[in-house]
Amino acid sequence: MKTVLYVEDNEFNRKIVRQLLVRTSYRLIEAVDGEAGVTTAREAGPDLVIMDIQLPKLSGLEATRQLRADPATAGIPIIVITSFALAGDEEKAREAGAAAYLAKPYSPRELLAMIRQLAPES
Amino acid sequence: MGSRQDERPADSTGLASRPGPGERIARVLLAYWPLGPLVRRVARLRASVHTKLLGAFLLIALLLIVMGITGLESIARVARQSRLLDQARERVDAMRQIEHALGLQMNFMRNALLLRDDATIESMFRENNRFQETFDRLEAAASPDQRGTIRDIRSAQDKVMATVARIAGLIREDKADEAMDLHLSEGYPLYREIATLVTRAVRAEEAGMGRLRDGVEVTYRRALLLTGGFAAASIVLALGLGFVISWSFILPVREAGGFLGRVAKGDFGASIDVPNRDEFGALARQMNEMSRELHELYDAQRRAAHQLQVLNAELEQASRAKSNFLASMSHELRTPMNAILGFTEMIRDGLYGDVPPEIQDPVSDIHTCGRQLLGLINNVLDLSKIEAGHMELALGEYVVEDVVNTVKLSLRALAATKGLDLVATVPTGLPLATGDSKRITQCLMNLAGNALKFTREGRVEIRVAAEGESLLFAVSDTGIGIPVDQIENIFEEFRQADATVSRDFGGTGLGLSITRKLVELHGGRIWVESQAGKGSTFFFSIPVRVAREAAA
Repeated sequence: MKTVLYVEDNEFNRKIVRQLLVRTSYRLIEAVDGEAGVTTAREAGPDLVIMDIQLPKLSGLEATRQLRADPATAGIPIIVITSFALAGDEEKAREAGAAAYLAKPYSPRELLAMIRQLAPES
Repeated sequence: MGSRQDERPADSTGLASRPGPGERIARVLLAYWPLGPLVRRVARLRASVHTKLLGAFLLIALLLIVMGITGLESIARVARQSRLLDQARERVDAMRQIEHALGLQMNFMRNALLLRDDATIESMFRENNRFQETFDRLEAAASPDQRGTIRDIRSAQDKVMATVARIAGLIREDKADEAMDLHLSEGYPLYREIATLVTRAVRAEEAGMGRLRDGVEVTYRRALLLTGGFAAASIVLALGLGFVISWSFILPVREAGGFLGRVAKGDFGASIDVPNRDEFGALARQMNEMSRELHELYDAQRRAAHQLQVLNAELEQASRAKSNFLASMSHELRTPMNAILGFTEMIRDGLYGDVPPEIQDPVSDIHTCGRQLLGLINNVLDLSKIEAGHMELALGEYVVEDVVNTVKLSLRALAATKGLDLVATVPTGLPLATGDSKRITQCLMNLAGNALKFTREGRVEIRVAAEGESLLFAVSDTGIGIPVDQIENIFEEFRQADATVSRDFGGTGLGLSITRKLVELHGGRIWVESQAGKGSTFFFSIPVRVAREAAA
């Protein structure tokens, strides 16, 4: 069973992913800010991280960078959810070490496809 | 070139940079002689350069003229004294001749007394006459102080002539003894008297000649001394004046040179101090004025630059704040949109179980309205980004046909719903283009979407053509068209041809404004040709290869 960590401060969006993964074999763990996201990833060692770009305490990009820099978590693929705010969001996500990015508002269907691609259900 | 200038010494006039021997002598003279103060005094003279030079030349010329006059006068005096000397010498000669003639006269008298013949007597008379002639000549040339002596000689001679005549008469009468007696008693003493007088006159003339000779000597020596003195004074004066005047010009010029050098190096507000009250003084005053002006300008410019810097920092701060606001606004708006659209999609996908048929329609409406709201949010944010200068193009290579196909596929459903023909014409062989394909797609989508929106029947056609280095996109419709008076501001924000249009057709009027700005970001232009009631054609042309500079 694969574990997916979703780092997102908005309860409704976390709920979407929670319900999206209900009928799949993925186990979802959640974090509500960047720092908690990094800590949880180190402790739980998930198979995939979905990281919102704008988070309290530590930005999604910085959290991504820290996870990539830590040998313990460097191998975990990360999907960064961008908000199309300014030009170059995607480039920044890639530079920070994201395996893929998805612009908000994303289609839950597309997100699920991306999750399955990066961390295939066993 | 720059490095060579740097090697120059601080005194940038170049005049004093490499002192030659003349320069060193001049420095010593200025330092140790009273020439330094003199140079300053000449500089301080309230007269123009022209006047000073003229004055110096006139002074030297005057000295030369005085020297010439004095020399000429000396020469004249020497000539006059030489002439007097010559005359004195002539007089001495004449006196000597008279002495000689007197001797001869006495000799013939003695012969006549001894021989007592007529021939000798004749000779005696002849000699007497000759003496008379010589004496006449001398009397004319005699100097005034000799006149008394000459008169005495003449009266003695007159007596001699009378005595000689009487002696000759006695000899002819053969009264030799009486003749001898007469000679001894009267003739001989008279001859002695004359001889004494002549000798005295000769002595006097000789003494006068000696005095004259001494006078000539003195005059000559004085002339030599005067001429030499004047010449030396002229040379010294010319050299001195030349030195003093030229240095009274050179010093301020050097000052000015050094001063200008400092100004050129950016030392504004420096001042120059020269004692001159001539043109150089005026020049120095003007330079000081210039320096002061420059200093004020420089200060003002520096203050302005500082203000600009402060302002710039504030602007940067504001721009950063705006940028941050845009980023967080975009995110904040999208986060709930994400939930709305996400939940709707999951409902429609049956994630929560089958959707009852009567709920399907409102769920679909929520989704449509949600997407419309998202489009609006995107447009407003795009416009804000463009206005704030934060819109950056993501340049990359793209295939023109892909852009057109994306637009056609996206709008196919809308066209079909309205019963309109959507046609796209892309010629083959278009080059691979460079630009922000997402934004170009957005532009074409806006234009084609508008065309479909404002057309009730007929067709909408998308055409692309390569024109030199540009790509020309055209979207034509058979819609309501745009009145001529409203074509101009059709690309302004929040403009639609008619206020009623938005009621009938919807939309905010942001699409065309954003399209124009995106086209301009690509270094292109957009325009429209339209006839109200018959339809419109929107064109935009962008470079095939958009460079980073053109996009900026």
